[in-house]
Amino acid sequence: MADLSVRIGEVALKNPVIAASGTFGFGAEYAPIFDPGILGGICSKGITREPREGNPPPRLWETPCGLLNSIGLENPGIEAFVREVLPRMLGLGTVVIVNIWGREPEEYVYMAERLDMTEAHVIELNLSCPNVPGAGLPGAVPEKVAAIVAAARAACGKPLWAKLPPEGDLIGAARAAAEAGASAVTVANTFRGMAIDIRSRRPVFSNVIGGLSGPAIKPLVLRAVYEVAKEVRVPVIGCGGIVGWEDAVEFIMAGAHAVQIGTGSFIDPLCIPKVIAGLGAFLEREGIGSLEEVRGCAH
Amino acid sequence: MYPQLKRGEVVANREIAPGIFLLGVRGKFAASPGQFYMLRAWELDPPLFRPMSVFALEEEAISFLYEVRGRGTGILSRLSPGEELLLLGPLGRGWDPPARPLALVAGGTGIAPIHFAAQIYGGDAFLGFRGKPYLVESFADWCRAVYVASETGEGGTKGLVTEIFRPEGYRTCFACGPEGMLRELYRLCSEAGVPLFVSVEERMACGLGACLGCAILTSRGPRRVCADGPVFPAEELWGDG
Ligand SMILES: Cc1cc2nc3c(=O)[nH]c(=O)nc-3n(C[C@H](O)[C@H](O)[C@H](O)COP(=O)(O)OP(=O)(O)OC[C@H]3O[C@@H](n4cnc5c(N)ncnc54)[C@H](O)[C@@H]3O)c2cc1C
Ligand SMILES: Cc1cc2nc3c(=O)[nH]c(=O)nc-3n(C[C@H](O)[C@H](O)[C@H](O)COP(=O)(O)O)c2cc1C
Ligand code: FES
Repeated sequence: MADLSVRIGEVALKNPVIAASGTFGFGAEYAPIFDPGILGGICSKGITREPREGNPPPRLWETPCGLLNSIGLENPGIEAFVREVLPRMLGLGTVVIVNIWGREPEEYVYMAERLDMTEAHVIELNLSCPNVPGAGLPGAVPEKVAAIVAAARAACGKPLWAKLPPEGDLIGAARAAAEAGASAVTVANTFRGMAIDIRSRRPVFSNVIGGLSGPAIKPLVLRAVYEVAKEVRVPVIGCGGIVGWEDAVEFIMAGAHAVQIGTGSFIDPLCIPKVIAGLGAFLEREGIGSLEEVRGCAH
Repeated sequence: MYPQLKRGEVVANREIAPGIFLLGVRGKFAASPGQFYMLRAWELDPPLFRPMSVFALEEEAISFLYEVRGRGTGILSRLSPGEELLLLGPLGRGWDPPARPLALVAGGTGIAPIHFAAQIYGGDAFLGFRGKPYLVESFADWCRAVYVASETGEGGTKGLVTEIFRPEGYRTCFACGPEGMLRELYRLCSEAGVPLFVSVEERMACGLGACLGCAILTSRGPRRVCADGPVFPAEELWGDG
């Protein structure tokens, strides 16, 4: 069996395949289909300081090879998450990455301090959720990224990953995150999109916009990962439209240390185990000792 | 009964009324009344599986009743016997064994899950159709009595199913159909003090409770139609508590 293990700063992953935030619940939902312990890591649903009910339906809208979502960060809040959900996630046998979202830097600080008292392995700062009414996209603005990452860095000792939007000053934002102490950047969250119901003549989502994910965005995100990997010194985690192992190889050749898979699991519930197996088979077939040998080779 | 991802072979896919198909799939499947499967018979696009309630379950086969609405159901409707499709299920929480006597009320393709409930629990069926009724004989196999309404008056009483149904005398009512019908039913049942359990629809991505894409707001907070439902006490959806 090929060695798929990778290191993202301080954390070692058994393989570079991570379940993307918001698409894999808290890890146990897919357990009837495959053992989540085979994953390199699992990102939790986005957690906020207070519980959130999320947006009214519809929350999903299918597009050609894509998916618009407007979930609105439904979650139990950090306290219930830490007490009731996190212990179960930590029992799944893989690296647990807690995705957190705040309206202000202080909210990130509050949650980072709370998570610092737990066994969670990594905190992913979600700087890029398009679905909360009235909230902007701090991840598109380097100064805001710097402020949030620096505040969270001072508040906890856990590895921090900064999850950025694919829009705005991406290179500037990624640099700002690295300089403020992020040990990796996740590129990227969804693109802001929308759909209009031509019969009612209104946007389909109550929040008007939604986040576009899935194969439709893969070439756009691959380009973004390629550019960030060239310009920024911290590891890049590629995320957007990965369905097959070949997609994952492309991201790694573009310079990603690891990949996250979201919508792919909706297209094929066995997507994640197939990508992991496909990566292993690829290394063996090509006689490659480790992923490092091909990482960034497209540059 | 944990959900599984399986391949199944189409044994029949017949248009039993204009735009309404009955799909039979060979294989060993499990389900309880009100549960559903996510179906897929294509590669990458459209990206999502299509949720379908179980219409009937046999030892070596499962069947679904669906209306062609868009791309996904269009592709399903062109499947021929011998072709394969993917099935993820059984999913969701259906109808628990009821206090009797039981009334089963369905409108349109809402008769799919109600038919499976009839197969397992029996009861009296009240069926509403837009035009010519279909599959009424199949209900007669399982039900004590079958009452039919159609908007055109073909094959039954002219009008809506909510006009031929009276809840008095029943101890439980199960229903599936358009939201307007279900809300009117809730009004009738709550006046008569009869507990009503309805199966509802929402757009779904994972079907497993992981993405929160199918959540609706209830009196108990947000609930996932795929995992906490699709069957809910009507009171939780529309009660004023
Ligand atoms: C639990 C459950 C059980 C169902 N059981 C049945 C059944 O037994 N028979 C039947 O005819 N229909 C049933 N439906 C509705 C059926 O899933 C939709 O009609 C179908 O998904 C439409 O797909 P399409 O590609 O033809 O339509 P499109 O409009 O092209 O679909 C676009 C997207 O919207 C989704 N969508 C559109 N309408 C619905 C809807 N009403 N509910 C959920 N998703 C929708 C599709 O899944 C797809 O993702 C059920 C829905 C749910 C949630
Ligand atoms: C239904 C859904 C919910 C999501 N929820 C979150 C979330 O809570 N936090 C977050 O950072 N990203 C969230 N995302 C974004 C994904 O984690 C991922 O970045 C994006 O979908 C692109 O990857 P994909 O094309 O593989 O899905 C969500 C995406 C989807 C489709
Ligand atoms: S469809 Fe994903 S939670 Fe229901």
